[in-house]
Amino acid sequence: MKKILQVTLGIVTSVGGFLEIGSVTTAAQAGAAFGYELLWAILLGTLCLIFLVEMSGRLSAVSKHTIVAAMRERFGFPFFFIVLVGMTLVAFLVLIAELGGIGFSLQLLTGIGFPWWAIPVSLLVWLLMWKGTFGLIENGASLLGLVTISFVVAAIKLHPDWSGVAAGLAPTMPQSDKAHYGFIAVSILGASISPYLMYFYSSGAIEDKWDESYVGVNRFIAGFGMTFGGFLSMAVLIVAALALQPRGIQVDTFDQSALSMTTALPRWGFYLFAISMLFACFGAALEISLAIAYFFAQGFGWNWSEDLEPSKDARFAFVYTIIILIAAVPLVFGIDPLKVTIMSMALTAATLPLAIIPFLFLMNDPVYMGKHRNGWIGNSVVAIIIVISFVLAVISIPLQIIGG
Amino acid sequence: MRLERLFVFPILFCLGCKPPTPAEQMNSMLSWLATARMTGDGWLRHTTPDTYSRQTLELSSERIGQIASDLLKSPPSEVDTATLDTLFTRSRIRVKAMARLIAAKNAPDFGRQLDSLDADEKLVKQLADSIEHRQ
Repeated sequence: MKKILQVTLGIVTSVGGFLEIGSVTTAAQAGAAFGYELLWAILLGTLCLIFLVEMSGRLSAVSKHTIVAAMRERFGFPFFFIVLVGMTLVAFLVLIAELGGIGFSLQLLTGIGFPWWAIPVSLLVWLLMWKGTFGLIENGASLLGLVTISFVVAAIKLHPDWSGVAAGLAPTMPQSDKAHYGFIAVSILGASISPYLMYFYSSGAIEDKWDESYVGVNRFIAGFGMTFGGFLSMAVLIVAALALQPRGIQVDTFDQSALSMTTALPRWGFYLFAISMLFACFGAALEISLAIAYFFAQGFGWNWSEDLEPSKDARFAFVYTIIILIAAVPLVFGIDPLKVTIMSMALTAATLPLAIIPFLFLMNDPVYMGKHRNGWIGNSVVAIIIVISFVLAVISIPLQIIGG
Repeated sequence: MRLERLFVFPILFCLGCKPPTPAEQMNSMLSWLATARMTGDGWLRHTTPDTYSRQTLELSSERIGQIASDLLKSPPSEVDTATLDTLFTRSRIRVKAMARLIAAKNAPDFGRQLDSLDADEKLVKQLADSIEHRQ
């Protein structure tokens, strides 16, 4: 009974915590510019994420190591340091984008410009990290994020052409604007296969004291949670395709994306969009701050747990304190969160091989995985994801320059 | 293929990148005109709040001005520059006026400006189509 409850809660929190500024922005841009044509990118990203998240949880449950701790132990400090630099840079940019997303949502609701919100929002995120527990952050923020289901309601109310939606799940090449199409596809994949999510999930399994008996629970949560989360991203794309594309509106700013829900839900759409973005970005900002602090603490062998008093894991608390405060600075000076989002999604794609390659070794290492090593399906999927990540790494920056 | 070529190709690709074409700039212009119109519709139907509507119209007016300025620096040869300039200036002023009418809560005048903006948007669309077809 306890496990069923955990599976249910895990799926619900995965759904509630799935959307964040990157997935909303890239899906809205895709729908507004290319209709349903880029649904395949969300499908592909979600499939990759399901496998990677499942492996992250399995590694932690079986080996009692997080990905970062295992990577440091298995590959040594030089490799860990390279990944640390790459991941910290990208995650830091994503954190700026998420804090900016919270500020932007508050701007929509109050009319007060987002730079004014940078410091109060950062302080609130920090305070929750300082005072809160892992359960509060994992479950509380994600449960609030369930409001993002309103995107699904809006998509259904707009009566999409389901055969067109199905056709969009197969990759196609547009007649024109190929660079922009390629750039958005890469950004969607960058937003979907977020390494910070894997580090957070893997650390969460240790925080929640998972053991081998949780391998099945983990599989259900990763499979169903991420699948339903993928549906949310698809709903954002469908809403943009039906509300913005026919009018010729491209999503260059957040202000434009806020209009997307007003067609389907005239009375509440605007506010539901703002509140959805607020909770989604808030949850993501907490998770990213934690993921960065976990990365440092686990890699350098410090004490770490969100459930410990900050005095008991001072260096862990110091990392998230500093990173949250520094992330607020560019926002105070009015840096455009949308531009940071787009840049960070492309950079995430560029650094993916660093995050994914260790999986192939760790998930086949009998010392860590015992009898729960990857089978041929798991290894084939990781190999395919590595190939995809290399392609993304090579093309993401040129596409950002040409098509971004 | 040698490994370094994987990195050379993207760099060469980047070097070939160019500023947006007039057709792309016209599409951006249309996007902002449509944004202004959808925001205006929303305000009249009470689906978007006053502050957001006013701020978005001000932003639209600003972006319309920027795109017009960029486009008119190297105007497309297919259309008369003076026609474009007049149309863009009129649209920008109209959108700015709509933002002011929200502050004054003057819905009847706002509705009239919105209808005129609709007509301007159609003209810009025709010009954009003609530029796209000739390129």
